[in-house]
Amino acid sequence: MISLFYLFLLPLVALSSAIPATSDYHESLTLQPLPQSALLASFNFRSNASEESFDERNFRYFPRALGQILQHAHTKELHLRFTTGRWDDQSWGSRPWDGTKEGVTGVELWAWIDASDDEEASAKWITLTQSLSGLFCASINFIDSTRTTRPVASFQPTGDHSISNNLHLLHGTLPGEVVCTENLTPFLKLLPCKGKAGVASLLDGHKLFDASWQSMSVDFRPVCPHPDECVVQIEQTVDIVLDIDRSKRPRDNPIPRPVPNDQLVCDTSKAYHSDQTCYPLEKTKEKGWSLSEVFGRSVSGACPLGNDQNSHDETVCLRVPHEREVSISLGALEIKKPDGVSRCYELQPFRDFDLVIPEQDATTQVPLEEPVLRAERTIVGHGQERGGMRIIFDNPSDTNAADFIYFETLPWFLRPYVHTLQATVTGRDGVRQQVPASQFIKETYYRPAVDRERGTQLELALSIPAASTVTLTYDFEKAVLRYTEYPPDANRGFNVAPAVIKVNGRDAANGRSHPIYIRTTSLLLPLPTPDFSMPYNVIILTSTVIALAFGSIFNLLVRRFVTVEEAEALGAQTIKGRLAGKVVALRDRLKGKTSKVE
Amino acid sequence: MTGKNEDPGSSSTPTDTTMSSKSSVQRLPPPEKPEAVWTRFKIIAAFWAVIVFLGFPIWWKTTSIYRARLPVQEMVEWADGKTCRPVFPLEIRFETPSLPDSEAQHLLRTTQHTLDDLNEFSAHHLRLKLSEDTLAANNRDERQLHITTDGKADTALIVRLLPQDDLTSPRSELHLDTTQLDVYYPPSQIPPPSSSNPPLSAYIAGELQQLFTEEKAIIAQILSDNNAMGSTNTPASSNNQQPSRMLNSISPQLAETISRRLRRSMKYADTYHLAFSLFAPGSSPSSWDIQPAVDEYIAPLLHAFAPISNFTVDTQVQLYATFSPTAPPPEYDESQATWTLKQEDLSAFINAAEWPLSPSIGNGPTINFILYVPAPSQSPMVVKESSATSWIIPQWGGVFILNPPLSTATGAPSNPTHLSQASLGPAFLTFSHQLLTLLGAPATPTSLPFRLQTLIRIRAADLLLSASSTMGSLARLTESLPSIPIPAAVATSVSTTLSHLASACVHLREGRFQAALASARVAETEAERSFFEKSMVGQVYFPDEHKVAVYLPLLGPVGVPLIVGLLREIKRIVASWKARRAGS
Repeated sequence: MISLFYLFLLPLVALSSAIPATSDYHESLTLQPLPQSALLASFNFRSNASEESFDERNFRYFPRALGQILQHAHTKELHLRFTTGRWDDQSWGSRPWDGTKEGVTGVELWAWIDASDDEEASAKWITLTQSLSGLFCASINFIDSTRTTRPVASFQPTGDHSISNNLHLLHGTLPGEVVCTENLTPFLKLLPCKGKAGVASLLDGHKLFDASWQSMSVDFRPVCPHPDECVVQIEQTVDIVLDIDRSKRPRDNPIPRPVPNDQLVCDTSKAYHSDQTCYPLEKTKEKGWSLSEVFGRSVSGACPLGNDQNSHDETVCLRVPHEREVSISLGALEIKKPDGVSRCYELQPFRDFDLVIPEQDATTQVPLEEPVLRAERTIVGHGQERGGMRIIFDNPSDTNAADFIYFETLPWFLRPYVHTLQATVTGRDGVRQQVPASQFIKETYYRPAVDRERGTQLELALSIPAASTVTLTYDFEKAVLRYTEYPPDANRGFNVAPAVIKVNGRDAANGRSHPIYIRTTSLLLPLPTPDFSMPYNVIILTSTVIALAFGSIFNLLVRRFVTVEEAEALGAQTIKGRLAGKVVALRDRLKGKTSKVE
Repeated sequence: MTGKNEDPGSSSTPTDTTMSSKSSVQRLPPPEKPEAVWTRFKIIAAFWAVIVFLGFPIWWKTTSIYRARLPVQEMVEWADGKTCRPVFPLEIRFETPSLPDSEAQHLLRTTQHTLDDLNEFSAHHLRLKLSEDTLAANNRDERQLHITTDGKADTALIVRLLPQDDLTSPRSELHLDTTQLDVYYPPSQIPPPSSSNPPLSAYIAGELQQLFTEEKAIIAQILSDNNAMGSTNTPASSNNQQPSRMLNSISPQLAETISRRLRRSMKYADTYHLAFSLFAPGSSPSSWDIQPAVDEYIAPLLHAFAPISNFTVDTQVQLYATFSPTAPPPEYDESQATWTLKQEDLSAFINAAEWPLSPSIGNGPTINFILYVPAPSQSPMVVKESSATSWIIPQWGGVFILNPPLSTATGAPSNPTHLSQASLGPAFLTFSHQLLTLLGAPATPTSLPFRLQTLIRIRAADLLLSASSTMGSLARLTESLPSIPIPAAVATSVSTTLSHLASACVHLREGRFQAALASARVAETEAERSFFEKSMVGQVYFPDEHKVAVYLPLLGPVGVPLIVGLLREIKRIVASWKARRAGS
């Protein structure tokens, strides 16, 4: 099953990838209002370069900065994701692009690297992460061996690779990375129109990172439409879910205000309704919005880099029912699609484009696609020493079982006990039932962690029966880190990368299977943290103990012991008196001695 | 045996009276036994022995840093130019197919004599040599740019003497594609064996002198720059008087051009990355015939440079490249109908913050060449003062403003969407010229192989001096910072550098410039590696406050009783010693 939304997007992709252009560029923006005054905006930018010009390092639409990194690291296919927020599949339905263009919270990177052996691949992977780190101003260089895995079944190359390449898949995540404007700026620099023309001109860091959910992706892969004619393709996408109300607030006055009394629509049938109390009625009208209100600016013309000047790209598409009233700025051309729920616009170069949907009664809605699987992953348990992981899979389908691959990487300081893996199944009737986990797990790939060298890698091939919810749990133990291994904000907790779920979706049209990706939220693992003033405390405490012990032993050894009376006799002498006495005694003795000699 | 002063037998009466006045029952303890005193002495001595012979060495051993021994004296001598005085004996072969051997020898001798008289810069001198295989040389075709692996010196120039009947005075012609100078002379001018200063010799000497003027000036400049930068307290040796005298003799304009070119040229590197970028403020032109243009204008040059450095080439098209908001915008000049950039504003032309001009990955510097096509509304654009459209950014690259004919087909004037190879021609000719300048090649003479040979000698001298001065800096650094560790790898690198410097110096002295450059390259790489060794900077800053904070809680309480005990023992020993001396 595939959503109507993607049925509509796919022909665009298919059409464009069929063109064997040596160097071309396409961009598109799809807007779809979602329930609860949310708006999904999917930006897509794709350019090709012939493999020959790429190898000769003649970059045209392909960004040189990225191209030379890929060549330097012998990377044949690359996928980079920057994501913040959580996709709310309860109210927003299935994910855009079937989840193939989104990543885990933070940064996710996976690449196929051409190398003769694993060691060489790792070295090139380090080169790649360090270079990308500089290019995208992100901490990608912190993807070290402990955060790198080599997934077995979760990812498949999407490009056409020649057989002579010895490809190695490496995958790394940075769940703690905060994606922000400094990552967007280099992202926009990779585009041929630099965000100054075309739909990319809408991308503004203030609005983009204020969104409920956003995901930026960079995909690089070789594509061979014909066996002897290959192009390298770079595809960049930005998907954001904006809260329309929030986005429409002016930037200089962003504090939400209560609705004035006279504009409140109250339920007058309530018994307590009066001038002072009001039960607000739900709005029946759909909110009005425009591009310039939601994004803070309008599209500054088309990016005129099509194949030829007269090509007609349907750049901006809007998914609202046809009866909905939409007004656009002059010069743009509207094309209504036969499916009844979408329309597209052709933009003119050098002419601003805006799109206004006035507030109007919403009679019909664009149907949202139900996700094929819901997944939730949490850390359970208490205490500093042990904990547990609980993963809940919910198959909403009443007829089909969900077959998927569950892939998770755990940091080395989280030590899972795989033998405690247990499953509970709950049907629609709500009856919980403990069953052996092997009933759902068809295959397991498990690679245990090595302290400070690599994390745990767990890949499970699972099958969840129709209309049921399966809960997997396992226990783990928390390791104690060394003093220097704690980050500055150790008490915040340690990020555990989200799990990646690959569902084998079946295409309704041609029966081919295509993957659907779902990612859980990232987790925070509280570890026992020491008091960080410890070293000095330890030094001072042990020093004091040693000094005490040493002092008493030393004094025992060198002091002279006398009776109390004798001590009083000695102590009665003041220092001054003793000194005087010593002087006198010395003189007397000298006298006595001399007299003796005489 | 000396007793303590508590000895009641010898106790003095005043003490007794004072004590008895206070309390008559108190009495002082009995005297300590000598064995007890001796035991106490042994205990304190044992403690101090452990501290001095065990504790202190262990502390010293565990907190000391490894400093490999460096030949500091030798390094400083290299930096001061005392070890090696770079000389450039250039071998010039004479081919005289039509002259008998004796006459040729005589001509050679007189020319050499004239040359030596003309030369003021003894570090750089020309050695004339008669070609042994004159016959073979007659049909010589191969280029002279090859690395000599045997002990023979590189031939800097081949002079062919050819008689020509219809001439009244000799004339010379430098081949453009080889290092060969043809001198045509009227047969009547063959010097008789008796003449000491024949006109033909003077002519050849003058020609040769002129050919090498710029090279000499550059080398003199490099040598004198190095001496100026090096330690100023070294007495003016004969070595650094020479270049300055040479510099004084050349014209001020030439000196100025040379020092400017030296400032502009890139530092020597094994690999240079060339990046050609097309920048446009709008959406066109968005494509260019870059591959044929590079193949035609740049590739032959890079091929010629292959013995000196390696090159990589990449190109990019960058659209919507606007000027930096702080840069002064171009102004419209009514009289010429052009948009002009002020010369002093050219440094702000590159919008470094936004234009993607990141250096290439891998070792070696990147040389950027920017082809800027101004917006139709600002076309044509030139530099105000000179009406030029190109300039060099020292040690960075070159800029060329291309003003293509605007097409008005669709109403408003617009740039062409595609730049053909023909329209790129002038730009790439300029780029190739800028590349030569940036690589430090001299401007004269016209023969490219000749200039490349000159470049080899300049680079060899340059690298030799820079590696030497790096050695000096390293020596000074390690001496001024006694707390930094010196790993063994640095010592190895230093010895490699020094040995390669020595061999480069020998190669130079014997005229094998290719080999000298190869040695100097190794020396420079190793010198840089040793100077920028990572572990040397690791622990430079370890403040003393930290050490005090770590040591004091332990050493304070433990040290005080130990020291007091030691002082007491010393006092006792001194007292007893004095007493014994007084008693004896």
